Amino acid sequence: MALKKTMTLNLTDAEMGALEDLCEKKDLSKTAVLRQALRLYQAVETRVENGAKLFFENEETKEKAEVMML
Amino acid sequence: MKIEVTKDWCIRMARLEVETGADMGIGGAPAVANPDAVALDPSSGSMPETNIAFGRFVRLMRRKRRQTVESLAEDAEIDVAELVEIEEDNHHRPEPRTVYQLAKHFDLPTPSLMQLAGLSAAKNASFYAEAIRFAARSETVEDLNDIERAALEAFVSVLNDRK
Amino acid sequence: MSIETSPVFLLEVATDQPIEADLLDGIAEQQLVHWEDEWMPVLRDVVARMKAAGIERSKWPQSLHWDWRQKAQGFERALANPGFCVMCQGMTQGMMFLDLLHKARIASQAGKELVYIEYLENAPWNRRHIAGDQVRFAGVGSILVRAAIELSREEGFKGRIGLHSLPQSNPWYANTCGMTDLGADPDYPHQLRYFEMTPEQAEAFLAKGNTS
Repeated sequence: MALKKTMTLNLTDAEMGALEDLCEKKDLSKTAVLRQALRLYQAVETRVENGAKLFFENEETKEKAEVMML
Repeated sequence: MKIEVTKDWCIRMARLEVETGADMGIGGAPAVANPDAVALDPSSGSMPETNIAFGRFVRLMRRKRRQTVESLAEDAEIDVAELVEIEEDNHHRPEPRTVYQLAKHFDLPTPSLMQLAGLSAAKNASFYAEAIRFAARSETVEDLNDIERAALEAFVSVLNDRK
Repeated sequence: MSIETSPVFLLEVATDQPIEADLLDGIAEQQLVHWEDEWMPVLRDVVARMKAAGIERSKWPQSLHWDWRQKAQGFERALANPGFCVMCQGMTQGMMFLDLLHKARIASQAGKELVYIEYLENAPWNRRHIAGDQVRFAGVGSILVRAAIELSREEGFKGRIGLHSLPQSNPWYANTCGMTDLGADPDYPHQLRYFEMTPEQAEAFLAKGNTS
């Protein structure tokens, strides 16, 4: 959490559009959304590496779909 | 991350903590059980008085039969060490099997002895009152005197009445 | 991981004097050693007293099984789980682990990001329920909550925080911190109550220490 480094990120229009949508929805800056995305990605990877599976469950049908992590 | 907090802020908030007697535990498993609160919680386990009564009751029943700790343990098929704990340590929580074996040996209803041992809740407060009265009347002395014998017999009848 | 230090102050209760302290944005080996060598013996003593009072095992302080070392190892390098601690006179006075992947539950904030306080523990000698009149330092909890709010602001979460409070701490979070009580959480161990702080409540909490 100490010193922060700056980097340039190259995104397509579609990617930039998705980022901007998320920024609006989450009321966050672009940096904040990407930092949050990185945290989430790392947390999921760690869980999967430790043997957990990632599912989305439909609340009504209880149907589960496994998310494949690369 | 550098955080700017003034000395005044820290001290004002600290004084608030002192004034309110605040405790700030957070987390899945309680980090700070409040011993005072727990001690006063009647659901927190056996009534201590009944445990005193249970220990004294076992001791008096044993002495009435002129048995040593070892011989009672052997006859009732229970662990000597646990019998010593039951008689000597008012806070000991006996094993259900031990209480069952003692009830069988003393020819008493198991549920009543379970209640006396604090392993099950009594259905009404009068049972605890009887147990406390028994504990108060049965100060341990070397020989089983008449008062003790009367207290013991009175309590045995209470236990039997609860069948 | 480099840990940054911010100067703070604690109140030494016996003398009513401010004492210099440090807020660290990380939990390192030194804190874990303090927890093992200094906090745990006091907690074990509390448990011994409870045992002597005939209180059953399930009612003993669960922090005996609350393993800060294990948590620190589990959260090592985890971007979502930063830790903070307060150091004073060379000793760890309080520790906290956060989780940045929780969402707000208050209707007006629903779905917004917040800083969730996963674990917060004050050193046993700073806890009135354990130390009685001998409490050493006050202010640790406020500083740690403040740190959570500041991190929430830094991350763009506007000061929103959330937590599950232990029963005896409920009045502090509800009244002094001014958090919204969302009631007992049936999905949480021991059904602890869930509290949340909105950006406005965070503002008010910070202002509380500024008004005389």
